[in-house]
Amino acid sequence: MAENKIYKILLIEPSEIVASGMSAIINRSSEFKLTTILPNLGYHTNSNNSFDIVIINPAVIDYNERYDIRSIFYSEDNKTTIVALTYTSHDENVLRQYDGCIGIYDSADRIFQKLHNAIKESKENKSELYELSTRERDILVAVAKGKTNKEIADEFNISIYTVISHRRNISRKLGISSISGLTVYAIMNKLIDISSIQ
Amino acid sequence: MKSNTLYSEKMKAAELISADWNLLSIFERLNIKLGFGEATVAEICTRYNLSPELFLMICNIYSFENYQPEANMLKKEDLPHILSYLRAAHKHYMANSFPRLHDHIHIMMEEYEDTNRYILNKFYDDYDSEIKKHFEYEELSVFPYIESLLDGKNEKIYTIKKFEDNHTNVEEKLNDLKNIIIKYLPGTYTSSIRIKVLNEIFKIESDLKKHTMVENKILIPLVTNLENSHGRK
Repeated sequence: MAENKIYKILLIEPSEIVASGMSAIINRSSEFKLTTILPNLGYHTNSNNSFDIVIINPAVIDYNERYDIRSIFYSEDNKTTIVALTYTSHDENVLRQYDGCIGIYDSADRIFQKLHNAIKESKENKSELYELSTRERDILVAVAKGKTNKEIADEFNISIYTVISHRRNISRKLGISSISGLTVYAIMNKLIDISSIQ
Repeated sequence: MKSNTLYSEKMKAAELISADWNLLSIFERLNIKLGFGEATVAEICTRYNLSPELFLMICNIYSFENYQPEANMLKKEDLPHILSYLRAAHKHYMANSFPRLHDHIHIMMEEYEDTNRYILNKFYDDYDSEIKKHFEYEELSVFPYIESLLDGKNEKIYTIKKFEDNHTNVEEKLNDLKNIIIKYLPGTYTSSIRIKVLNEIFKIESDLKKHTMVENKILIPLVTNLENSHGRK
């Protein structure tokens, strides 16, 4: 992306005081432009008016509905960066959905830094959200062949903790958690031969 | 259309079913006959000798995603009803849901070449016998133990904690199977059977999730209380 790009920002924040403050800070920068402020989600229509960044106070989201935050700001190329604006600390599971999190006590510098990180984060997230990496594929094959975490750690020369974290990512990406399910996946995709598991 | 407020005993029984037709299976498992006219939940419960608290708790679990039941509202007299409810549910799964899914999966896989057919059928059949064992264990060990506690026997051979610790997640593999069929099984010309299979899985999965909740959030806490009242830890 070109260096002189101006990022268009949508802010969803119920407090007018906070919203005005954010707006004043953000528009100090030549890189970011806060073009729209909404008090809640109700006014947000998935218009063509697309934003590069959405800053949103998680409090406006009804947790009973358990929205997937991305489904609200779905855009075709799915490149909107979504950043939380919080007054208090939130549950980690809630914040994980966001590319970044700005706290109400952050300085202006910190806010810009966090916005930059979030943009980076959202790009990385998108590229590796679903595809297995080569390493993950190798570990999947080992799991499907029935190897234990310890055996896999030794084979790849990594810690058991790393194996577990790879396995968690594999399961998240594929939507398959059980070993036998992973074996079915591996055979179906011809990653292993059926004879190697009997 | 589901409303956002929990059910109450003043509601008409018929209203519950209009609100969420999934509750039909609850009525069936509690052996409550349809045709109850304008009777309220409270009246139905009196008729069937059920506590309205238990009845509403089970219905609320089934209909409301974030509902958290409070087992403290129940009494040990509710336990036999919970057990008969759970047994009826197991019977339904074993006699209807899983055999139907089994048949549909095997029909679906007839279209596939040997390897895919073999591994997917095997995955399902293994799961099938796993779940059978899971239910059998509950019916042959756990439920009789609870009944003996209710009879005032205080055998120390078992505790509900042991069950809680080993209460395996029966939906995990079903979820795996679902994703494999949606995402990774190669497409064929006849997809209607595949959709039948998926409908069946979604139905069983959501039912099992609620079933597990009844066991974990109602049955286990109640039995733990009962054990404590027998002076055990």
